Amino acid sequence: MCVRTAQSKNSPMATTDAGVPSSQPPNPKPRPIVRIAMFLISHSALFSSICCAAGILALFLLPLLAKNTYVSENALMPGSANPMFSNHDTMEANRLVKEIMDLKLSSGIAGIEISNLLGKYMTERDADVYHHNFHVQKNQFHLGNFFSDSSYSWHVKENRSCTQYGINTVAIIRAPRGDGKEAIVLVSPYNSTNIRLSDALSLGLSYSIFSLLSRVNWLAKDIIWLAADSRFGEYVSVAAWLKDYHNPSFLDLDKSDDGTCPVSHALLSRKGQPTTAGSRLNVFRRAGTMAAALVFKVVDGKEETKDTLSIYAEASNGQMPNLDLINIVNYLAVHRQGLHVKVAKLYSVLNAAWLRTVGQIFEFIGKTAKSVNPQWGFGISAADYVDGTATLASSIYYQALGIPTGSHGAFRDYQIDAITLEMSPRSSLYNEVRRSDFLLGGGRLLEGVIRSVNNLLEKFHQSFFLYLLSAPSKFVSVGIYMIVFMLLIIPLPMVAASLYSGPNERESSARTNNENPDPAVAIVTTSGSKSCKWLHAARVVFVVHLWSGMVSLIPYLINQLPERTPTACMLVWVLLSFVGLIILYCIAGSPYSYKISHQPPDREWAVLKAVMISVASIGLGLMSIINYATAQIGAIFMVPMCLLAHPLKHAGTAGKLRVLSLTTSNMVLAVIGFPPGALLLVKGWLEGFDGVSFGDFWIWAETLWTWNSATYLYLVLIQLPCWVLCMHILLHP
Amino acid sequence: MGALFGECKRRRKFFVNRRLLWLFSLCFALLPSTHLCESATFDSFSSSSTAHTNNWAVLVCTSRFWFNYRHMANTLSLYRTVKRLGIPDERIILMLADNMACNARNKYPAQVFNNENHRLNLYGDNVEVDYRGYEVTVENFLRVLTGRHESAVPRSKRLLSDEGSHVLLYMTGHGGDEFLKFQDSEELQSHDLADAVKQMKEKHRFKELLVMVDTCQAATLFNQFHSPGVLAIGSSMKGENSYSHHLDSDVGVSVVDRFTFYTLAFFERLNTYSNASLNSLFRSYSPNMLMSTAYYRTDLYERPLDKVPVTDFFGSVMETIHTDSAYKSVLGEKIVKPTSEYSCKNANNQVEQKRSLASAQDPIVGPGTKEHSSPQSMWNVLHNKVEKIDNADELVNYGFAIMVLLVALFTWLSI
Repeated sequence: MCVRTAQSKNSPMATTDAGVPSSQPPNPKPRPIVRIAMFLISHSALFSSICCAAGILALFLLPLLAKNTYVSENALMPGSANPMFSNHDTMEANRLVKEIMDLKLSSGIAGIEISNLLGKYMTERDADVYHHNFHVQKNQFHLGNFFSDSSYSWHVKENRSCTQYGINTVAIIRAPRGDGKEAIVLVSPYNSTNIRLSDALSLGLSYSIFSLLSRVNWLAKDIIWLAADSRFGEYVSVAAWLKDYHNPSFLDLDKSDDGTCPVSHALLSRKGQPTTAGSRLNVFRRAGTMAAALVFKVVDGKEETKDTLSIYAEASNGQMPNLDLINIVNYLAVHRQGLHVKVAKLYSVLNAAWLRTVGQIFEFIGKTAKSVNPQWGFGISAADYVDGTATLASSIYYQALGIPTGSHGAFRDYQIDAITLEMSPRSSLYNEVRRSDFLLGGGRLLEGVIRSVNNLLEKFHQSFFLYLLSAPSKFVSVGIYMIVFMLLIIPLPMVAASLYSGPNERESSARTNNENPDPAVAIVTTSGSKSCKWLHAARVVFVVHLWSGMVSLIPYLINQLPERTPTACMLVWVLLSFVGLIILYCIAGSPYSYKISHQPPDREWAVLKAVMISVASIGLGLMSIINYATAQIGAIFMVPMCLLAHPLKHAGTAGKLRVLSLTTSNMVLAVIGFPPGALLLVKGWLEGFDGVSFGDFWIWAETLWTWNSATYLYLVLIQLPCWVLCMHILLHP
Repeated sequence: MGALFGECKRRRKFFVNRRLLWLFSLCFALLPSTHLCESATFDSFSSSSTAHTNNWAVLVCTSRFWFNYRHMANTLSLYRTVKRLGIPDERIILMLADNMACNARNKYPAQVFNNENHRLNLYGDNVEVDYRGYEVTVENFLRVLTGRHESAVPRSKRLLSDEGSHVLLYMTGHGGDEFLKFQDSEELQSHDLADAVKQMKEKHRFKELLVMVDTCQAATLFNQFHSPGVLAIGSSMKGENSYSHHLDSDVGVSVVDRFTFYTLAFFERLNTYSNASLNSLFRSYSPNMLMSTAYYRTDLYERPLDKVPVTDFFGSVMETIHTDSAYKSVLGEKIVKPTSEYSCKNANNQVEQKRSLASAQDPIVGPGTKEHSSPQSMWNVLHNKVEKIDNADELVNYGFAIMVLLVALFTWLSI
């Protein structure tokens, strides 16, 4: 607005400079883009509702707009080579499986035994073998390391305890003619304390592939096999190994080998080898940059018609591996091994009747369009639509949550493309006849993927990184889903501008007696004396955001408390937040304390709402860059809440029905726009309201910050202040 | 070492050329009946004033990376073919943008195959790669064509062709509308190529040029040609892709492109003495097999294609017959068949050739008629004239006429 006043001051000066004397400054016609903007702003109510509706509609259109995936990188050439994995290799896998299962029966502390056994097998293949001891620490909420979890970690290592040790067994094959600068990682997690047949099978299969790869001569990248000890969780072991791989720690080099801990001691003594060999097995070895990582797991069959492969790809904060990695796995699994490929779905959505109806409507429209013009082939069947929607919803959900769906997430933190492949046979794993077929298929799949990645010359870069999957072979790219988000978010600045200019227009038009019917001109001619009224509103918004920043840090204090239960923590959090808000109001002044005599009361909340909406749109826009899915889901809640916020007291000017609906929707949005409220409602809807407790939100938030999810920041720094400001507007006197 | 070797070979060529004119005239003198036929064919076939005297080949693979294995295999296959049909190594400029044989992904180290049966290793012992790896650039390629090298570039890396040369230019890689990609980083445009060819023409660097291109939309690369004597074959029309022929699932890559595969299949049936015409080569491409339409640009080329043997470009048909004493040959003992390529063209000439061979004791046949220096003064004079008159045909005809007169005179005198 200050700029505008400057312009209005400048314009007469310009005319005098030009030497054209004019008693009345001319009204220059604004440029077309300005006029379009003014037109949109003056009809903002209409356009914002249209945009919102279009955004929601477009969201439902996404499964229709999904494209088929294609391998974009020429170098990959999946499936161009015949697999070398043969029945001989499956026998080798079975041999290791049998030994591991025997070990489980005979030995008490199977963990160390398995580790030793794997080490022995790997050494037979002339691989560089070592045991990686890692220490588990729970990722506490910490101020300094929200986004950078790796750099501060060695400070904490001082108070390690020996009970929290895990042992990863790692082997590296050096590519015979490669340059040793790149590597492919194969991870097979197993629970060392309670090994099951499925874990043993994934170890056996990984081993047989590893031994095959140690014989071939076409490797251009080194192969790292990480048998990850997942007794403390799959993610932890892989993350610990990756951290040590990428951050060589020179400070506690001696400590790791001091043998004070019984586990590592036992590992060395039980080897029955000279100490030199034992210490050799504790030297951390590295290969080059990791080109890709495959986490391979076997789970017991669920009696399906085909062997099934499930792909998990979501890493922290909605980051995805390059789509090409999923493409080659999908291509090889479907077209070479004949597996049934699945990605995660939201099964609750799958059975929704309303969704099926929507699908049928789209199917009908598609058919009609096709009958009009056969070129328009966008219709898909209702079943496909429901399926696609369920998959897409799950894709958005897991990305929005920002929590990795498996140990592949640890790789993404180092910009390594990784996915988890979970194979399940069509019959039970104990069926030995079927098992070797299953192993053969799985082995050939893994070999094919590794050979394909081995062909790669550069990092994965050709295909998409920003996408949502609507089927294993269908995706919605960033170019399409951003349209949906933009449609939802565009009303916010539009309405903000209209709210701000609305009262000004009224004032100025009253003053100038309808001399300037064009609202654009009305704004330009507004005098500068009243233009800075928004400063008060801005102060209120700033105070609330300051408060939300404070709220986001309170859990750090709560974590220092001893003996805490989720409910108590939640209570403390809420109380502290509330007290903080009141204190801040005492210091900075309550939003209702500021009264301007010449200002009508509705003007006040309108300006507050305008500022709030602008800040919310900026927040949503920023969030969409960090994590699209979070911003998308947030926008669905926040945009209606922001647009409909209206003081309950001042609602009475229009018809009764309108007042009623406005009030109702405001109340509903006030509940579901509040993050804990929304969570409790969803939880109650999914699991029944009996199990819902006050502490649930605390547990959930704790999970979010444990995984460094930006969703936590979004909820506390963007959604919460927006909700508080909406409450202010609702309760405006 | 390679350069030295080439130099040696070339010196030997000079030696051969030196005596060519001797042999020429003797042949005319002894076989007056065949020579008429010879000159007739000469006139009808050679439009240019200079005779076709030598063959050169520039074979270019422009793409890097393991998945472009087939482009290297294409080029090496053609290299092998032209070598087999007689173009010597020092007259082949082989440019390979990447070394697949030593790629870590190659299951068969130091070997390159163009067929999944792996019967033929294209990267055997006698492969002389002139430009390799990052040396294969648009700049170097244009330098090779136009001959504008820095002084340090060895002779083995230069295209030392002259106005009697038939040059085969074979290129393969990834192309598009009026361009060909080099090394995944730069492009050769059709204008660049046409300009280089025009410079070559003006510098008398070729008599006839056959441009053979196996890329997508290869035909577009010929759009800007204006120089006479240029014949062009492309694997595909504008808007078409060129496809690979088959995948070697052992090596894990496609090993040969369709166009090149069928070109090779055509040449596998031929040997040095075959008189298959260019037309028959062109007709052998069927769009069904190629999955694209092969394109020929013949408007700049004057000779009828069905009269031009493929060995004019893909081979260098020369016959060398052993001499007992290389330097002390007696004039009267040398009998020689007129020359090389043209004589192979029709059966008539072949018969004549055999006759001449039968009567010759130590005939040597070499290509060039131009670059020779004889110690004999008489021939020196003639040689100088040859240097000045670039019309070799006329010279030969005049020489023949004089010979006839001399023979007639001597016959008359002796009677």
